[in-house]
Amino acid sequence: MIIGRRSAAALCAMLVGLVAAGLPGSAAAEPVGEDAPPPKVNLVLDVSGSMRAKDVGGQSRMAAAQQAFNEVIDAVPDGVHLGIRTLGANYPGENKKLGCVDSEALYPVGEVDKTEAKTAVATLRPTGWTPIGYALRGAVKDLGDGEGSRRIVLITDGEDSCGQPDPCDVARELAAKGTQLTVDTLGLAADDKVRRQLGCIAEATGGTYTSVQDTDQLSDRLKQLVRRSADTPLENPAPAEGGERCADAPLLTSGVYSDRAEFGQHRWYQVELQPGQELRAALSVAADRAVDRDYAVLLRAVSERGTELVRGREAGSGRTDVLSTGLRYPWNGEEERTVCLEASHAFSAPASVQRTPGLPVELTVDVVEAADTADVAFFGLARGWIPVLLLTVTGLAAGLLAGLIGRLRNPVRRA
Amino acid sequence: MRVRSPRRAHRLRTWTAAAALAATALIGGAAPALADGDNGGNSGDDGGAVTEAGTTFRGATVLEPGQEGKAAASSSDYLYWAFGAGAGQRPTVSATVRLPESSTRSGTSRWQLSLHDGLRRAQPCATGTHTRTARQDVAEVRLRCTLRPVQPWADTWSEDPLPGAYFVRVAAVGLPEQDRGLPIEVSVEVDAGSAGGARRGGGDLGGPLVPSLHAGTALAGGDAADGTGGTGGTGGTEGDAEADRRTLELAEPDGGWSGSWWSDRWLWTAGGGVAGALAAVGGYLWVRRPRV
Repeated sequence: MIIGRRSAAALCAMLVGLVAAGLPGSAAAEPVGEDAPPPKVNLVLDVSGSMRAKDVGGQSRMAAAQQAFNEVIDAVPDGVHLGIRTLGANYPGENKKLGCVDSEALYPVGEVDKTEAKTAVATLRPTGWTPIGYALRGAVKDLGDGEGSRRIVLITDGEDSCGQPDPCDVARELAAKGTQLTVDTLGLAADDKVRRQLGCIAEATGGTYTSVQDTDQLSDRLKQLVRRSADTPLENPAPAEGGERCADAPLLTSGVYSDRAEFGQHRWYQVELQPGQELRAALSVAADRAVDRDYAVLLRAVSERGTELVRGREAGSGRTDVLSTGLRYPWNGEEERTVCLEASHAFSAPASVQRTPGLPVELTVDVVEAADTADVAFFGLARGWIPVLLLTVTGLAAGLLAGLIGRLRNPVRRA
Repeated sequence: MRVRSPRRAHRLRTWTAAAALAATALIGGAAPALADGDNGGNSGDDGGAVTEAGTTFRGATVLEPGQEGKAAASSSDYLYWAFGAGAGQRPTVSATVRLPESSTRSGTSRWQLSLHDGLRRAQPCATGTHTRTARQDVAEVRLRCTLRPVQPWADTWSEDPLPGAYFVRVAAVGLPEQDRGLPIEVSVEVDAGSAGGARRGGGDLGGPLVPSLHAGTALAGGDAADGTGGTGGTGGTEGDAEADRRTLELAEPDGGWSGSWWSDRWLWTAGGGVAGALAAVGGYLWVRRPRV
C-alpha cells in the first residue's frame, strides 16, 4: 500500500505536467494607434439680442458664455484645432433676409492663439437674429473635409428665428454628407421649444444636449466636450455603400464602415474568408430622429448560394441611441469563401418624420486568424459525484475481475 | 474466532488515509478559485478612477479591472465604458446615477444599465436589477448586472458570453421631455468575478472578441468580381491592414483571455481516478485475500 501512495504522488506529478503543457497561450497585445489627424472643434456661439437676458446666476447669458469661452480657450488640449463662429453678431436690423444670413467665422479652425481668440470673444455684443441652420452649414465649411473627428458645439439661448430650413434637418443632412460630424448643443434657456430643437439637433448627429444651469456648469461642460475630442482621437469610419443584392455588394476588409439605410431598405456587403479565418461583424443602426416605440435590427451572414450561415438579431423598445447586434463565422473549409452580409432594420417613424437620408449604419468587420476549437467540457474533465462513482465502480469491477481471473489461474491456498 | 492481523490493520489505516485524501481533493476545489478572485481585485488598485465616459461604442472609455469610472453628464446622454473579460470570469457591473435635484425634474424617469459583448450583441443580465424607475423625489439610482459566466468557446449560433471586450451603457430609457439635458453624475464599477468549475466550459476561440477601430477599405462591387487579380490585391491590403489594425486597448484579464488552466474539475476527475484505483485494488484484494 505504500506503493499505492507513491503511485498517487506520481499521478499528481503527471497531472501537474499535463496541466503545464496545456497552458493556453496568451493573446498578443493590441497595437497602439500612432498619431492621428488633429481633432477639430468649432464652437458656434449665439450672439442674438436675447443673450442680454440676465438669468445665468445673475450674469447675462452673453457674459456667462464669454467667461466660459475664456476658460475653454485656456484649457484647449494640445493638438486640438479649435475655431469660433458666431451667429447673429452683426446685423441689428429688422430685415429677416439679412438677419438670417448673419453668421461669420470669428476665429478660424486651427491651432489656437489664446490671446487673439480671447480678444475676439471679448468684442462680442448681443445683436441680431438666430439663424441656427445657416450657422451650422457655415460651421461645417469651417471644419473642412480633412480626416479626424469633427465636432460642432452650439451654444444658444433660443430656437432658430428664421424658420426654414429646420436646423434639425440641416444637421441630419450635414451628418449624412461625407465624414463623421457630431453636434453637441448647449441651451442657455429652459424653454420647451429650445429644448426640443436643440435635443433634435444633437440626436440627429449622435451628439449630446445640455440644459445649462449656471456658469460653472457651462464652462465645465464646454471643456469636457473639447477634451472628449482630444481623448478619443477616433479614425472616421470608411463610407461604404451597401448593395441591393449580394452580387453588387462592396467587398469589405477589416475595419469600420459607415452607411445609411432607409426605412425598409436592406444593405448587402461581401467579405472574403481564407480557410482558418473567422469573420466577426457588428452592426449598429442609430435612431437619429423620432422613431416609433418598437424596433429591431438583423444582420445575416449568407453564402453566395443564398444559404443562411448565421444571424445576429436584436429587438427593443423605448428611448435609445443605437440598436446593435453582431455575429461571428469561422471558416474551416478547403477553399476561400465569400460571405455575404445582409444588414436590415425594422425601425419605423411617424409620417411627419423626414425619410431621407436613411438611418446611420455602422458596420465593424474583423477578419481574424482563429482556431475555433470546440470542447464543451474543459479538456474533457468531469465534475460531480456521478463520474466519481462511475470511476469507482469501474475500478472495483476491474479489480474483482482481475482477482477472479487470478484465482482461477492460481487458486488461493487455504490457511 | 477472528484475530486481527497486523497486515489487516495496516490496510484499514491506508483506506482511511485514502478517503481523507480524496475528500480534501474534492472539497478543496474552491480555494484556488477564491485566490484568483482576490488577485483580480487587487491588481486594479493602482489605476484610480476614470473621470470620463464615451458617448458611442467606438468612443467607449476603457476601464482596467477593478477601476472605477465616473462621469459628469446630461440626463439625456448615453454613456459608454468598455472592459475586458476572460473565460471563467463572471463580471458584475454596478452603476450609480446621481439624479438632478428633484425641484428641477418634472417626473418619473427610467434608467438602464446594459451590457454588450465584443460583437455588440446585447448580453442579458443573469442576476441584478439592471433597470430601475426613479420617482421625482429619488436622489440616486443604483443598477447592477451580472453576466452569465464567460465561456472560452461557443457555437456560432449561440449567444453565450465570450472572452473579449464588454461595453457598459448607462442611459435613461424613459425620460420626460422637460428633464432632458439636466446634469447627472454616473459612476460605474466592474468586478471580474469567478464562475467556478461547474460553469467552466472548454474549447478555444482563437482570439478574444476585441473590435477594430480603424477605418476599413471597401472595394466597389465591380472590383470584387474581378476574380484572382482582385483577390491578390486584397491580400496585399489585408497584410497592411493587419499591421495597423487598431483595436480597443483593453488590459488582458487575469488568467488570460481563454481563462486560467485551473478548475476544480481537475480535482474531481483526479479524485475519481484515485477512487477507481483504490476500488480496483480493494476488489482485487477482496477476491484474493487468504480465507481464514
